[in-house]
Amino acid sequence: MNSVIHGQNIKVAVTNKVLLENISFQVNEGDYLCIVGPNGAGKSSLIKAIMGILPLSHGQLLINQHAITSYSQKQLAKQVSYVPQANGRTLPFTVKEFVAMARYPFHSAMSEWQPLDQQAVEQAFAITNTEQFADRQISTLSGGECQRVMIAAALCQQSPILLLDEPTSFLDPHHQVEVHKLIRELNQQHQITIIEVSHDINHASQHSKQILALKEGQSLWQGPASEFLEKDRLHSLYEQAFIFLNHPQTGAIIALPDEQL
Amino acid sequence: MTQSHRLLLITVLSLSVVLLSPLLGIDHPVSAEIKRQIMFEIRIPRVIFAFVAGAGLALCGMVFQAMFNNPLATPFTLGVASGASLGAAIYVSLGLSFSLLGIDGTSFSAFLGALIAISIVYGISHFRQGFSTETLLLTGVAISFFFSSLILFTQYLSNVTDSFRILRWLMGELSIVGYQDLMQLLPFVTLCVAVIIWLSRELNLLMAGDDIALSRGVAVKQTRYLLFFITSLCVGAIVALCGPIGFIGMMVPHICRLIIGSDHRWLTPATLMFGGGFLVFCDTIARLIIAPAEIPVGVITTLLGGPFFLWLLIRIRSKTA
Repeated sequence: MNSVIHGQNIKVAVTNKVLLENISFQVNEGDYLCIVGPNGAGKSSLIKAIMGILPLSHGQLLINQHAITSYSQKQLAKQVSYVPQANGRTLPFTVKEFVAMARYPFHSAMSEWQPLDQQAVEQAFAITNTEQFADRQISTLSGGECQRVMIAAALCQQSPILLLDEPTSFLDPHHQVEVHKLIRELNQQHQITIIEVSHDINHASQHSKQILALKEGQSLWQGPASEFLEKDRLHSLYEQAFIFLNHPQTGAIIALPDEQL
Repeated sequence: MTQSHRLLLITVLSLSVVLLSPLLGIDHPVSAEIKRQIMFEIRIPRVIFAFVAGAGLALCGMVFQAMFNNPLATPFTLGVASGASLGAAIYVSLGLSFSLLGIDGTSFSAFLGALIAISIVYGISHFRQGFSTETLLLTGVAISFFFSSLILFTQYLSNVTDSFRILRWLMGELSIVGYQDLMQLLPFVTLCVAVIIWLSRELNLLMAGDDIALSRGVAVKQTRYLLFFITSLCVGAIVALCGPIGFIGMMVPHICRLIIGSDHRWLTPATLMFGGGFLVFCDTIARLIIAPAEIPVGVITTLLGGPFFLWLLIRIRSKTA
């Protein structure tokens, strides 16, 4: 298996505040990694470091065996794309304009729009089923529609790695299922390597392949997703007791917060 | 109506104002020769100058609004224009006189003042993460007040003639004579326009926020530095020559956005045309309203801009509430 992202002893600090320390992890081609952990654990910071938004203060981050610092921002955008935490609804653009803007890394200042660009936009619309509101203003979309548009824009970049920061946090259950399904499809049918930050531990353990659990900027556990749900581990991660039961339909283990403790 | 139609409409409107303006108010009983002279040596350079200055101010405002993602953020509200004014005021009151590469020392001092002001704003906005736009605007207001006091102080220390010169110029006026002033301005605004057109895609992505811009491949920091530098240059050159003409940079791009949308590939030419035409329009009013005397054009733009600013503020408040 090819390692597409390899972090070695990563440290991220912003104005002397340490956000991440001593993080080492590896993501292979076609992997689906979920980053979990309590609020303030550094999950978003790790994603932002991989996207080149936050600089490393120590350690190495290899993207396709090359140090992230050796990429220009444009070159990096061809390898990695990013769906930020829900905030898009104030953008003053139409859906089509916003999605097309993601072709930026393939253009120089005066280059013309190519058939290849058009293809990428149409493909992104088709995968995310967003074609029908292409001409609407982003500000008029519902939360679920907006999140699909954000994913469409990231896909339009056609990068082999996709980062998602809590893509379902502000969605109702129906739209959560819809977006989770879309992410699995991208991973399984389109062979896109996924790294997702999530607060939904049941979704993470059932749908992702690998899990990285962060706490207070440190790596607490990493391993196969199917082994993640374990009593002591969850307790030390969230400082909360959990009880376990089986999903009546799929038989998968489900963790629920223990209300009596 | 498609975007190209809208742009065409703005362009036609703006150019007709430019063409009409020199013809207005020339009906004094003077000889044909003097009329010709007024037309070619005063009116036409003045109209072209007003157009270039207006376009430059509007574009710099547009860039600031895009970079800070707020319609109230402009070189004027963030204190950059006051920085430029202070630079120029110090130059005048010290009685300095030099030029470099054919560019007047006033422009250099104004440019330096603008650059210092923008560095302070930028520095403070990066001091802490999660910096709100309200704090940014208040910083700008504080910087403006600070520099205004320094300008008053400079004025107080100067002799009566210089003091009056500074005062008159602070009101923002366009009573220039001849083409040499135009030549002091044109290179800066042209450079600024070229860079802004070149960075249209980057400006679009910056409007979506730094994180998205970075993830799409924009080298945000470098782009920002370049834009700050180039707008400081442009605002400095304009302020040095005609004083801080307020509010154009806020009103024009906002109106253009309502007409043509936020895509900078359309917004930039629209703002350029509208800004130029608008300042020519205001200057024509300033020239005609109490003719043969004229009032400083900055008074007109500020009289129009003040209410507009309040309207915008209320609109934003009611939107976010």
